[in-house]
Amino acid sequence: MDIEVFNKYKKLGRGNWGKDLAMWKMMYMGFLNERKDEEFTPILELLFNIFLDLPKARKEETPVIMHPFNYGPELFHGMNLAPLMQELFSVGLAPLHLNEPYIDFSNKIGYGDNPTLCNAQRPLIGSFMQGASPIPDLLFFLSTPCNSLAMTYQVFEHLAKIPTFNVDIPYWAYEDQDNEFYDEKIVEYMVTQIKELIIWLEQQTKQKLDFENLQMTMKNVNQSREYILEFNELLKNVPCPMPSLAGFGNFLTMVTRGGTEDAVNATKYLRDEALENTKNGIAGVPDEKIRIAWPYTHVFFDGDLLTWLEETFQAVTIMDILGYYQVLPHDTSTIEKCYESLALGSLDFSMVGTCRGPIEYYIEFLLNYVKDYKIDCVIMPMQFACKHAYSMARVSSEAVREETGIPVLIFGCDPYDSREVTSEAIRGRISDFLTQVVL
Amino acid sequence: MLIHIKNMSVSDKFKLALSPENPWITKWKSEGKKLLGYFCSYIPEELMHAVDILPVRVRARKCTDTPMGDAYLSSTTCSFTRCCLEMANRKQLDFLDGIVSCNCCDQIRRLYDNIRYKTPFPYHYIMGVPGYVSDTTIGWFKHEITRFKSNIEKNYNVNITDEKLKKSISIYNKSRQLLKDLYELRKQKSPPINGTDVLNIISAGVSIPREEFNVLLTDQLNEIKNKEGKSDRKSRIMIVGSMLDEPEYLQIIEDLGGLVVTDSLCLGSRYFWDKVDETLSPLDALANRYLSKISCPRMTDGYLKRAEFMMNMIKEFNVDGVIFQRLKFCAIWSAETFMLRNNLKEESIPFLELEREYVLSGTGAMKTRVQTFMEILEAR
Repeated sequence: MDIEVFNKYKKLGRGNWGKDLAMWKMMYMGFLNERKDEEFTPILELLFNIFLDLPKARKEETPVIMHPFNYGPELFHGMNLAPLMQELFSVGLAPLHLNEPYIDFSNKIGYGDNPTLCNAQRPLIGSFMQGASPIPDLLFFLSTPCNSLAMTYQVFEHLAKIPTFNVDIPYWAYEDQDNEFYDEKIVEYMVTQIKELIIWLEQQTKQKLDFENLQMTMKNVNQSREYILEFNELLKNVPCPMPSLAGFGNFLTMVTRGGTEDAVNATKYLRDEALENTKNGIAGVPDEKIRIAWPYTHVFFDGDLLTWLEETFQAVTIMDILGYYQVLPHDTSTIEKCYESLALGSLDFSMVGTCRGPIEYYIEFLLNYVKDYKIDCVIMPMQFACKHAYSMARVSSEAVREETGIPVLIFGCDPYDSREVTSEAIRGRISDFLTQVVL
Repeated sequence: MLIHIKNMSVSDKFKLALSPENPWITKWKSEGKKLLGYFCSYIPEELMHAVDILPVRVRARKCTDTPMGDAYLSSTTCSFTRCCLEMANRKQLDFLDGIVSCNCCDQIRRLYDNIRYKTPFPYHYIMGVPGYVSDTTIGWFKHEITRFKSNIEKNYNVNITDEKLKKSISIYNKSRQLLKDLYELRKQKSPPINGTDVLNIISAGVSIPREEFNVLLTDQLNEIKNKEGKSDRKSRIMIVGSMLDEPEYLQIIEDLGGLVVTDSLCLGSRYFWDKVDETLSPLDALANRYLSKISCPRMTDGYLKRAEFMMNMIKEFNVDGVIFQRLKFCAIWSAETFMLRNNLKEESIPFLELEREYVLSGTGAMKTRVQTFMEILEAR
């Protein structure tokens, strides 16, 4: 990036961010330096803004609300709060192996272990106990997708004594339902909870919801959504016009900055890139040979895994489960419609939509993914502690094989800790699978 | 009463109910009546009982290995769910006419999915249970209960009237009161019954017709209420934790000199402590009671209430030490124990944490740890 741009962001990283943001600041500076030689894109700008939002909020006394990775924060942006997605830490620190000291400390103090509690959240407890975790003003979480998430947020609530609100995502089954995904009752239930959340936020922050601001934020989400859906549609082309990790950028954008201008810019940028490459016949992975479906999260500690797949096997990983964005457009015509849209958005957000109900939700997602994106094989790197997802893998893989004949690889690992199953072991398994089964 | 067991002692009858040869189930089946297996104490048994369906809590005792459970649920899910899938696959749960589940935890809800796909039963139903208590969530839970009720009615061509439901609620409330009476006896300095026998009783209660359970439990209370208590035990123990239906685990503790006097278990006090309000409409009453009862840590708002419940129990039952037991890989109890033990530390109450498999195994290590804990308690 231009030296002036770099210096501008470097300058913004100076000053005292506060004791609990010391690690955050270190992550920012490390990230900035690492990206020094990259082109400055709207994606990079957005990522810098994620980091800079926190010290800015502190300075301006804007309440910081911590939330999990499965909730679009447009309501929080619409209420001029500073949302902080908690899992940015475990995801961001994993490739640097800096999760591991907090995982070890969580072990030491007796806060679970890896196969029992998920390390997407567990290091939060260790880092909090060591004074290395940002202390938000408010805490918010959902009952889905897993017990592990809900438990760690509760523990954090009680340890840090932070005012907390959680929304119940109702279990929804196909059986005896008029509609596969929702009916009036479920929307009504969710709308009531969204209204209760807003009342709680108003009480906690002593400010009223500004409808016009919320409306504008939700319109921005709609705009981003259009770009993401177009982007995802373009990924169906053979060859795939974007490299493997591009889709994750869209997810990261929506879960951190969804509803903001820079999220619109970032999603537009990705869409434009995909469109341009498609028009020009440029492949994300030159001489694409294998198209991989990755219907779970990435192996975050191995940041080069997908690049290795690209370079070694000319294999493109189309997207992970989080990049599969299925949120309906927000209806912003009235305040009631806004509430309804926020309710539906909560039910459909990445990994909530696929995991809040019976296994059929996941199987349907996987089969559509495999068929629509002309997939050659499926790789499921299942998190040991992710009980609800790991317990779907085998039946889902059988459904894929029966309906499409596509081979599936399932293996266990901890995406946040390289010591459980090493990068070499993972690459070895994938390599064997691709060479012996797929090719 | 079944004729061939008429002359057995009451406690032997309870033990018989836990055996694979449970004669109550055999008799029920021979009469052409239905049995539904269910997984969690958040499922209102009254809804099934009201139309003469026997609700049987699914257990997988005697399961020795879990190749299918490991393959389909993964080896890092709890062994209870793996054993259940295994038993279903081996047709050892075929006496059930159907399965009723809920989203009580990730492992149970996915067990339900795997059962449907791999070892289907004639009837399946899963009920949503909200994650916290408020007017809004109780309203939603009532809606879920109503859906379950309609599903039973439709599937079995029956009509669950308010009158039938009220009668069932009354019968179940009677059980709850009798069990509370039983626990009341355990407050005595020398309780007339040990923890192993109490777990036998409660486990039997979820395996036999409720009316007969109430009769047996009344007999049991009459038999022991004036009996001289056990005075040879050194320490009074409270057991806290997840699903435990193997009385043998408690037997180990009691063989080593402890006396289990109370608990916070899902097949223990949390199962019966709160009654259903018989003055409300039945569906409102069930929704209120089942969602607001002393909760399992799956409920995201109940920690303070659960901690208070545990501390009150410790005082009321004059507990010397607490044993937390949980199934290996149980996320909710792992996190809950982390918090609850702080309450004990603040009050200087000794505790021991035991992680276990569903089926009794590795007793050597467990015995050593329990023995050491007992010695610590005795030394105080």
